[in-house]
Amino acid sequence: MVALKIDGIATSVPDGTTILTVAKKLGIWIPTLCHHDVLTPYGGCRLCVVEVTLDGATQIVSACTYAAADGIEVQTCTERIIGIRKFIVEMLLAEAPQAEVLQDLARDLGVTPPERFQPRNELCIACGQCIRACREIVEVSAIDFAHRGYERVAASPFFQRSEDCIACGTCVDICPTGAITKRDIPAGEKAVVADGINITGPARIIDNWKVGLALKQCEKCGEHFAPQFQLDHFSKRASLPDDFFNVCRQCRT
Amino acid sequence: MNAKAIKNVQGLKKEGLVSLFPDKIKIIVGSASCGLAAGAGPVFEAIKTGVKEKRIKARVTRTGCIGLCHQEPLVDVIIPDKPRLTYGKVTPQAVKKILDALKKGKVPQGAFARIDTEEFLLEGTSRTYGTDSEDPQIAQIPGFDVLSFYQKQSRIALRNCGFIDPGNILEYMAKGGYTALAELLQSKSPQQVVSEIERSGLRGRGGAGFLTGRKWKMCRAAHADKKYLICNADEGDPGAYMDRSILEGDPHTVIEGMLIAGYAIGAAQGYIYVRDEYPLAIERLQKALKQARTHGLLGDDILKSGFSFDIIINRGAGAFVCGEETALIKSIEGDWGEPRQRPPYPAQRGLWGKPTVINNVETLATVPAVMHNGAKWFSALGTQHSKGTKVFSLVGKVNRIGLVEVPMGTSLRDIIYDIGGGIPDGRAFKAVQTGGPSGGCIPAELIDLPVDYEALSRAGSIMGSGGLIVMDDKTCMVDVAKYFLDFLENESCGKCTPCRVGVKRMRELLDAICSGSGIIEDLALLEKMALNIKDSALCGLGKTAPNPVLSTLKYFKDEYLAHILLKKCPAGVCKNLITYAIDPAVCTGCGACLKACPADAIKGEKKKAHKVLTKKCIKCGACQEVCPVGAVVT
Ligand SMILES: Cc1cc2nc3c(=O)[nH]c(=O)nc-3n(C[C@H](O)[C@H](O)[C@H](O)COP(=O)(O)O)c2cc1C
Ligand code: FES
Repeated sequence: MVALKIDGIATSVPDGTTILTVAKKLGIWIPTLCHHDVLTPYGGCRLCVVEVTLDGATQIVSACTYAAADGIEVQTCTERIIGIRKFIVEMLLAEAPQAEVLQDLARDLGVTPPERFQPRNELCIACGQCIRACREIVEVSAIDFAHRGYERVAASPFFQRSEDCIACGTCVDICPTGAITKRDIPAGEKAVVADGINITGPARIIDNWKVGLALKQCEKCGEHFAPQFQLDHFSKRASLPDDFFNVCRQCRT
Repeated sequence: MNAKAIKNVQGLKKEGLVSLFPDKIKIIVGSASCGLAAGAGPVFEAIKTGVKEKRIKARVTRTGCIGLCHQEPLVDVIIPDKPRLTYGKVTPQAVKKILDALKKGKVPQGAFARIDTEEFLLEGTSRTYGTDSEDPQIAQIPGFDVLSFYQKQSRIALRNCGFIDPGNILEYMAKGGYTALAELLQSKSPQQVVSEIERSGLRGRGGAGFLTGRKWKMCRAAHADKKYLICNADEGDPGAYMDRSILEGDPHTVIEGMLIAGYAIGAAQGYIYVRDEYPLAIERLQKALKQARTHGLLGDDILKSGFSFDIIINRGAGAFVCGEETALIKSIEGDWGEPRQRPPYPAQRGLWGKPTVINNVETLATVPAVMHNGAKWFSALGTQHSKGTKVFSLVGKVNRIGLVEVPMGTSLRDIIYDIGGGIPDGRAFKAVQTGGPSGGCIPAELIDLPVDYEALSRAGSIMGSGGLIVMDDKTCMVDVAKYFLDFLENESCGKCTPCRVGVKRMRELLDAICSGSGIIEDLALLEKMALNIKDSALCGLGKTAPNPVLSTLKYFKDEYLAHILLKKCPAGVCKNLITYAIDPAVCTGCGACLKACPADAIKGEKKKAHKVLTKKCIKCGACQEVCPVGAVVT
């Protein structure tokens, strides 16, 4: 156990607990963008910064990655910290002005979109949640970052059709800005997935990764419920009987 | 460790001395990258074949960079009983003359410097080459010690560069190399080594200036089954090449430094992370590692002491951010070279999750000297909190470009004027950028600043890895800030928002200012962004990226204001803000500008004042360059 103070409240927590977790337990709000409780902490967006003081020296760190240590004093809401958070939201607003999550943060923090900068209108803010989810939860690693610096963006390998993507849509659900799109097309409908990649329904398409996969039909109710490729992946991973996914989840129980 | 091993070291040392000072003519070619780039390769070949053809009894060897990069290719000639003579800017044609003279038993003409004695820093001795002061031809050649380039230098990390053959471990040993290691393996505990380095006050030369002894202590204290040592040879700062020079000129000192560090912290495996753009450094390192293994100085049971340590070379793909220690570690692990937040520091949790010390090349090159000559000797040099010496790469608008090593606390004036020979073409000194791309610009008013970690930081800059880029009055400081931000924007890994987006947006503002669309509010905005980025970025790259802007805003605000309010670039650099014109009162009508103009934008009759056609002018400045009377104005 380590003993620390956060916004004046003394508390002690098990070794390795991050400041963000401590704050959450105490009901202290720290905004986050790249963090997700079920994923490995990343420390990229820097929205969650706090001031940590130890032996008289103050450091600004990301609460989501910083493990609480004995004797530290944490300030989550100083003027300096608020200034940084506003700055980060301003910067991201110029990237993705249409992202609701940023608009909400802007409202909470009292930020207006910066006038001096041309909006970029790129929804991906490189938080990497999709990539970590695909690697850590789905265990597929179909996507990763491409390029570096300002061009950094979540992408399929070489921006071509991802061969590993099972179109499970976890990335779509976890993306905070709605940068990843998924659509199901009914039987017989034709769709263009990407240049030169066409598909006929029933299928699920994840546009960002240039993937379109045929959907499996439930033997009981007839619904096209999930991509065959995805079901194969899960059966293999969980060593399920071959016929386990012949019916959809509703019909199984 | 047994007496036999020690005796063996002594024996090898003697062999090395014979190689260093043969009893026949010795010709040494400066063959670091700087020399080779200037043409040392063909010069070396010409000497080799010439010596053979002319049947001159001479030993021909290579050496590293002695620091006089502006004089490369350098050739040194040692004739028995005579001083060592240095010839600059040698061509294969000049080689012929040198060899002809040698064949006739004469001293070749044209040496620009003379070395009478060679220092043995680690032995505390020196060796005289021979002083033929009778010979008037030799007497008139200035001695190295009086060359202003050398007078104020004090070479510890570079002690062997330019003197020994980097491909010959015996010559390194002859200069006292591996003696410190042999001694401490025999008589010092790892704890004692850590204490000695701590007492010396040695600070890391890679940028942050962290106390080396403290870092080692932290790692030594960490409990783990394995520990690692990494030598950081990524050297990504544009214009900095001190690490390359050390690796090319004296690879064994880095290896010995690593062995000492490994022993001190309790590591058995070391890595050298070197950028792939340094093929010669890699080649020489590989050879040096092989030699060290052959002589029982690397591998299992080193010098029969029971201590085992080996070194792997890891080649980096030349990303600036991979020089940052946490990114470097990830890169060795085979992952993306991306930094992570510290703590935990690598000394607590580093490579493969194990406690790891990561030190810079120059730091490690200094370690054997500190261990050999003692903490007291080292800490006598330098200032209160910055001990010892620092290597700087002196580049830009300065007469003598080169590598210099001076005691901490040496003033910028001494470095730029006495050592560097001042500014070319009689122009005025305007500023010096220290600390690489994320350092700061120090203005002419601060020319007497003593250079150490504290003073540079107080002046709004950093020591960084020791780059010194000198700028004259034709430099636009806003343009300079933009240049460095552009570099950092391109080198940002993109993981954190402040660096990825913030630095790019700052660069956009500078673009606007340089192209005439800046507004006065931009200055406050730049400052606000800079402070927020400094505070919130994930790693050192982002945290220091705003420095070029902050320091130029601090010292050269008037230039920013001229760009924004007057739409003028006082230095005449920002193309959008300058128009070229010819002063009719000064123009003699010689026509030089008219001939030089690539855009047909100048008209005028001979002997009459010429005119610039502003619409056609592409602002290349060629007219200004060629005008003999300075009639072209901006
Ligand atoms: C962006 C960035 C680039 C760096 N590049 C280098 C480098 O090329 N070489 C180096 O030795 N240290 C570099 N550093 C510093 C290292 O992170 C680390 O502090 C250093 O290698 C430690 O060694 P030292 O204590 O001997 O200086 C860099 C730091 C940052 C933030
Ligand atoms: S939430 Fe901590 S850095 Fe993004």
